Amino acid sequence: MKINQTYKLILKVAARNLWLFRLRTFIIGSLLGFGAFLAVLGLSLLRDVETSMRASITGSVVGDIQIHSSQAKDDLAVFGGGFMGRADIGTIPDLAAVRDVVMKVQNVDAMIPMGLDMVFLGRGNELDDTLEALRNALKSNDQIIVKDRVDQLKFQLSQLKSEIEQQRKLTTQTDELDEQWAAIAQAEAPDFLDTLTTVDESKLQFLDTKIAPISGEKTPVYLNYVGTDITLFQQKFPKFTVVEGEMIPNGNRGILISRKFREDFLKVMAARIFDRLNKRLTKGGMTISGDPENKRLAADLARQHAQVMAQLDRQEATELSQRLSEYGLEPENKDAELIDKLTSQLKSFLQVDDDKFTERYKLFYEEIAPRIKLYEISPGETITLRSYTKSGYIKSLPLKVYGVYTFTGLEDSDLAGAMNILDLVSFRELFGQMSEASKKELDDMRAAAGIKELDTANLEESLFGVNAAPVESTNTTAAVGAAPTIEVKPVIDETFDLRENDSGLALNAAIILKDPRKLRRTIKDLEKTFKQNNMDLKVVDWQTAAGIAGQFVVFVRMALIFSLIVIFIVALVIINNSIVVGTLNRTREIGTMRAIGAQKSFVVGLFLAETGLTGLLGSIFGSIVALMILFWLSIKGIPAANDVVSFLFSGPRLYPKMRWDIGITAPIVVTIIAVVASIYAARHAAQIQPAEAMQEKE
Amino acid sequence: MTIAVKIDKVSKIYPLGKTEVKALTDVSMQITTGEFAAIAGPSGCGKSTMLNLIGCMDTPSAGEVFIDDQPISKLSDRQLTSLRLEKLGFIFQSFNLIPVLTVAQNVEFPLLIQGKHSPKERTGLVDELLEEVGLTAQRNQRSNELSGGQRQRVAIARALVSAPRIVLADEPTANLDSTTGERIIDLMKRVNQTRQTTFIFSTHDPQVMKHASRIIRLKDGRLADA
Repeated sequence: MKINQTYKLILKVAARNLWLFRLRTFIIGSLLGFGAFLAVLGLSLLRDVETSMRASITGSVVGDIQIHSSQAKDDLAVFGGGFMGRADIGTIPDLAAVRDVVMKVQNVDAMIPMGLDMVFLGRGNELDDTLEALRNALKSNDQIIVKDRVDQLKFQLSQLKSEIEQQRKLTTQTDELDEQWAAIAQAEAPDFLDTLTTVDESKLQFLDTKIAPISGEKTPVYLNYVGTDITLFQQKFPKFTVVEGEMIPNGNRGILISRKFREDFLKVMAARIFDRLNKRLTKGGMTISGDPENKRLAADLARQHAQVMAQLDRQEATELSQRLSEYGLEPENKDAELIDKLTSQLKSFLQVDDDKFTERYKLFYEEIAPRIKLYEISPGETITLRSYTKSGYIKSLPLKVYGVYTFTGLEDSDLAGAMNILDLVSFRELFGQMSEASKKELDDMRAAAGIKELDTANLEESLFGVNAAPVESTNTTAAVGAAPTIEVKPVIDETFDLRENDSGLALNAAIILKDPRKLRRTIKDLEKTFKQNNMDLKVVDWQTAAGIAGQFVVFVRMALIFSLIVIFIVALVIINNSIVVGTLNRTREIGTMRAIGAQKSFVVGLFLAETGLTGLLGSIFGSIVALMILFWLSIKGIPAANDVVSFLFSGPRLYPKMRWDIGITAPIVVTIIAVVASIYAARHAAQIQPAEAMQEKE
Repeated sequence: MTIAVKIDKVSKIYPLGKTEVKALTDVSMQITTGEFAAIAGPSGCGKSTMLNLIGCMDTPSAGEVFIDDQPISKLSDRQLTSLRLEKLGFIFQSFNLIPVLTVAQNVEFPLLIQGKHSPKERTGLVDELLEEVGLTAQRNQRSNELSGGQRQRVAIARALVSAPRIVLADEPTANLDSTTGERIIDLMKRVNQTRQTTFIFSTHDPQVMKHASRIIRLKDGRLADA
């Protein structure tokens, strides 16, 4: 009863003192309230972002856990990290053994083998495409199509000629141009293309080697991919969706192209610029004239007429010219040649400003896009991937494109969209693991080229003869040291044995958990199991495995906590100061209390109660405001400002939750911090002597 | 007659920089229960030191102070505080009420700290004392709304509410006009007589001194001959 009574007294006096010094109470209360507000809002949003980012990362490619070799030279960073070249994450040579062990660990739902790597995408130019089509037509001996292809080729040649003429005006070095001109003339000669009705290798070779290169080589594109058991991948990553074409049938080799990658790298440049501008104008609310970047894009767009032209055959060009005329885009000279006419029309079509943009954008997709090959790669085609294997060869692998896929909710994300997906067997080929067929082929080629397998021990002897003078010893291996680079075109089947998915080589593997909340425990279990089985494998959680993207939340949390700490330090310094200053003004009051019989602890309690009440009131208010804002945001949603953010939000908008646990905990913690921090000052106040009550003011 | 306060060969030395100030030197005296004693003397004579020692707010450098036969020099701060709470009442020159509390709450304060009375008992005690000092009507006013004399009466009520053996008053009338001061002294005297509470007050006002049953004169830290 005594304690209770004393507490009541302390609270009563404290409350009245707070009211007496309202301004001071208000300032300290606001500061602590702001701290609580920031803590509730910040920590809630952070947890939301963490949850949604976890969904993004675990639902696309990474899974809950990744395992890879402990021999890795680099850290595994699924979404970037290694900017140039590929990260060396070691290899898992025998999947079967690892799978046996992993699947026995509790809480593991699935293990999806993966090979993350990077290859060059071989890209021809428009002439290459036409020549390829012509060759196919000749092979199938369909003369109508052959005639059509030859017409297109002729049309492209006439475009090339006008380009060469333009170039002539710009340079004095005309030797090369003359050569090209002559080559085109030879192809256009009456007895060349018109008589090409069968697979005439000499003519086709001439076209391939002398004509096609004139159009120039496109810059190569890096293609990031993950080789995996695609059927299992589809089952275990629910965000994965094929949006065009079809899923790769189980047991077939092939590739699924990422929609985002295709939009960003494999789409006709004019379309890409149109898309980017459209997004910036409609979503970003910008104008072309008001933004330097948009101006630059518009200027780039105006230069794209030649690329559009090159994609059209005569028929399409005639139609398009007509359509553009109907839309009021008349050529400068109506009687000019079709190429000149359409070029001038396209030039003015691609000159956009704020007034014309919306109409031109629509027109582009209605009239131009259907007539051109909008994407360099489409489902059904076969592409050529080139990789530099570890054994030093350039390997090229033709691979059928089955479809285009995306991760639902992450359609716009650069990070999630960077990865293309292919089968494990093709990955192993590209990675440089020799299939039996490839080995045999290579041996045959070596034999033909007169290259022997050299024993490293006898290297000098073999290379320089028995009595060769000693030279510095090197570790040169046979292949690199002795052979010129050989481009190996592997002959492997379109299909493979499904058992290939369960055994053999992989670089890493995603592990999906039954209960993702038990992540830490499962990681420990996996580590233990690998150790027991002498497997040299590293286990990393989704956040680490994702690379920089995964660390984002860690950075933000650190920044948030840092700013909270700063706010609290400021608040605590002010609180301490105000107590110390307050004690000077209240010396007599405190002295009197002490004289009358109040213990030191009473004085300490009084001051702690004052800070405690201030803290509690301020922080509860701050927390309520934060919860109200969260409630409002939970209805309205926070729009993702850009593609990176949309990855963090796992969609275009983040709908935060009202987190009562944080909303209730934060004020309590803030109050406790404030109270604890004012203990020193309160004890200082309690040192006031009771005799001070007797002191008269000067 | 019991002895309320006994001062036995007490000296008090305050350090002042590198030197020392002798506030009291070898003072011995007794005050019996029910006395209305004045401690008089010019400034710096040791009055305040004497009151501090009797008020258990300080301990002697040498000698011993007995309050109600209890020696205080070895007591801890906590024990001294309890002693003040139980046995002593204080009246200050500047009244020293707690500004944020009402008249009744100020009077109740020591009882609340003691925590040994029920709310009903407390109200009874407070009302009784407020009536005694004539402030029943001002019961719920803030202390800063009162006049000086009224405040000092509140202070007297507060000093008496815990039924102390000894009330110490430090120049209780110094901040009051002479008429009001006179009334305050009358009130103290009445309480002294009705309750047999020992009063010890410091003053240098001859008007006040004439009410004292005994005057203890101090000069340069020593007892002056009475």
